[in-house]
Amino acid sequence: MRPRKPWHPAALLGPSLLLLAVFVVFPVALAALASLYSWDLLTPPEFVGLANYRALAEGGELLGVALRTLGFSVLVVTGAMTLGLAIALLVHRPGRLFALVRGAVFSAYVVSWVAVALLWMGLLDPDAGLVAAVLRALGLGRVGFLGDPDTVLATLAAVTVWKVTGYAMILFLAGLEAIPPVLHEAASLDGAGHWNRFRHVTWPTLGPTTAFVATTSLILSFQAFDVVRIMTQGGPARASTLFVYAIYEQVFLNLSVGKASALTVVFFTLLLALATLQLRAWRARGMS
Amino acid sequence: MNPSSQKTPLGRRSFLHLAAAAASSAAGVSAAGAVGAACRPPLPREAGRTVATLWFSYGGKNREVLLDLVSRFNASQARVAIRATFQGDYFEALAKLRTALAANVAPTFSHVVGEVIPYLARAQVLEPLDSYERCDEFIPQLGQKGAFRDGHTHPTVAIPFNRSTPIMYANANLLDTLPSTWDELRDTARRLTRPSVGDPRWGFEVPISWWFWVAMLGQAGGTLIDTDGTPSLGADAGERALRFWQTLVHTDRSMRPPAGRDYNAWQVTNQDFLAGRAAVIWTSTAFLRYLEDTASFPVIAAPLPKDLRASVPTGGTFFVILRSAPPEEKEAAWTFLRWMCQPEQTISWATRTGYLPVTQAAVAQLRDSGYYDAHPNDRVAYEQLSAVEPWPWVPNLFRIQRDIVEPRLEDAVHRNLDAHAVMNSARAAARRPV
Repeated sequence: MRPRKPWHPAALLGPSLLLLAVFVVFPVALAALASLYSWDLLTPPEFVGLANYRALAEGGELLGVALRTLGFSVLVVTGAMTLGLAIALLVHRPGRLFALVRGAVFSAYVVSWVAVALLWMGLLDPDAGLVAAVLRALGLGRVGFLGDPDTVLATLAAVTVWKVTGYAMILFLAGLEAIPPVLHEAASLDGAGHWNRFRHVTWPTLGPTTAFVATTSLILSFQAFDVVRIMTQGGPARASTLFVYAIYEQVFLNLSVGKASALTVVFFTLLLALATLQLRAWRARGMS
Repeated sequence: MNPSSQKTPLGRRSFLHLAAAAASSAAGVSAAGAVGAACRPPLPREAGRTVATLWFSYGGKNREVLLDLVSRFNASQARVAIRATFQGDYFEALAKLRTALAANVAPTFSHVVGEVIPYLARAQVLEPLDSYERCDEFIPQLGQKGAFRDGHTHPTVAIPFNRSTPIMYANANLLDTLPSTWDELRDTARRLTRPSVGDPRWGFEVPISWWFWVAMLGQAGGTLIDTDGTPSLGADAGERALRFWQTLVHTDRSMRPPAGRDYNAWQVTNQDFLAGRAAVIWTSTAFLRYLEDTASFPVIAAPLPKDLRASVPTGGTFFVILRSAPPEEKEAAWTFLRWMCQPEQTISWATRTGYLPVTQAAVAQLRDSGYYDAHPNDRVAYEQLSAVEPWPWVPNLFRIQRDIVEPRLEDAVHRNLDAHAVMNSARAAARRPV
């Protein structure tokens, strides 16, 4: 399609670009500038060059936060997608019972994070929680869940998966609805069983839906804050300090705007790199 | 002030305020607006009375007591009124206070932990109080006098009110005498620990927090900041304190580090004690009344045990009036603070919560009335004041606490890291300018 006037594309893109510049580019540029200062909001800022980045890197904090956030994202994205797809395939049937199950699974997604976090804190209490009681009844040992640096990240990821699986399920259900029944009928006539129909019909047709679920889950997992703030405050031993919580902790609890800004810049760069990789992967697979 | 910061023609500070907002927006949280050095407009009067706003952090029972006192004060006044608003725990409240100061919407007065006062004083956001009418004489260990260690003379900017010390509590059904040395504590904790999957009990529990580590550092004979201002973090004593925790957690398995961080961990410690999952705990005197009233067993208190000597830091907070408040609101706030410092209110607050009475007159009244004879746990808390090691109020004390020591302590205890290496890294970080 050719524009009627040469300036039409610029005019159409203009509002979006302006919003992007005001709400993304400008704040990130300001954060990049602030990351070069030592500043606590109330006393005069002092130029320190790259010292904030050095301090974060030398203590291993930067690498630790980045790896934890990536690990958390991998767990959440794979968990939510696998479970969401599995449940969608199971409940993609007519009938009141399946409608009830669909509603029940999705309901977790619309409940506030505070309620979800408090509910799971009670369930996962290693002494008085229901999960601990079940483990005891099964003769299994005591698991610290939120109090053990080795299990806390997986526990938070599991709670997040529990909450967002309903969202993934709804999207996959929409994707399943969009598959023409005739494709499955044709495959059945050709002798394809359940697995082969899924592998050769359902899965390839769900490609765009899968890509969308993966992207939104990735964004959601990178933005995790409430679950950390309420359930662990980043502990124990910073084992659940993810990027956004680390930024909050530095700027508001540790009085360090410079370090928080340095973390923000690294966070932005990491997200940009991941988004670029994902976009390239989709383009390579011919998805838009 | 850094001279270079004044030369930037486009107002670097304003620029950086925007940057802070940007960083916080990226974090999905609200952030500061503009710098708030100027006096903010006064609040509308209520029924002809000047209103002063108080941001406070007490939760649970302590919150009820404070609100009751505020309501009594308001009922007794014709010209002023206090509007008290809960702002979360100390650190949440501090975060909000700093943001409000930067946005010039700070309350008239608030209360903050001692460690942060040097920073707020350096930022010149605290109202000097020397020109106001004096309060009753404070207990020396609980006031500001002599705390600043930056070589300058400072006006009074902080009024002690809810002050405390760490103290040991025990379930009296499980032991008659409380340990008075670290060795005795270790033995007691081992003896009282009941390893069981279904119904475990830890002999000892304490939040892995800077406050208790500072107490142990002092008990092991160290000082946090040397007299020349060097942050030695107790040198060998700091490491010994850390090792003691590691021994209890990993070697003896008689102590469990409570889940959660900051005051969440304190809450877990209290809950474990009340539920019988911890036999002996260290926490604040502030919980004395709450633990006594809530426990289903008799609670006994004792001073923290000695290593080489007895030593405890003080805790709790100081009232501060914010400089940015209009003069009439500051006067109203001061009227309230003076009222709170009168023996009747000081005693009411202390005896209903467990915080220490902060004035000499209140202590004299309590002693003369036989209160300490009837309440031995309160007496322990008061007598432990003789072991108080004053805080060294140096400007970067809060950074040393929050950014340097506390995360390392947690890491070292949970992962059983080499105490010497951990403290060496903390000392190096504390000496760095950023």
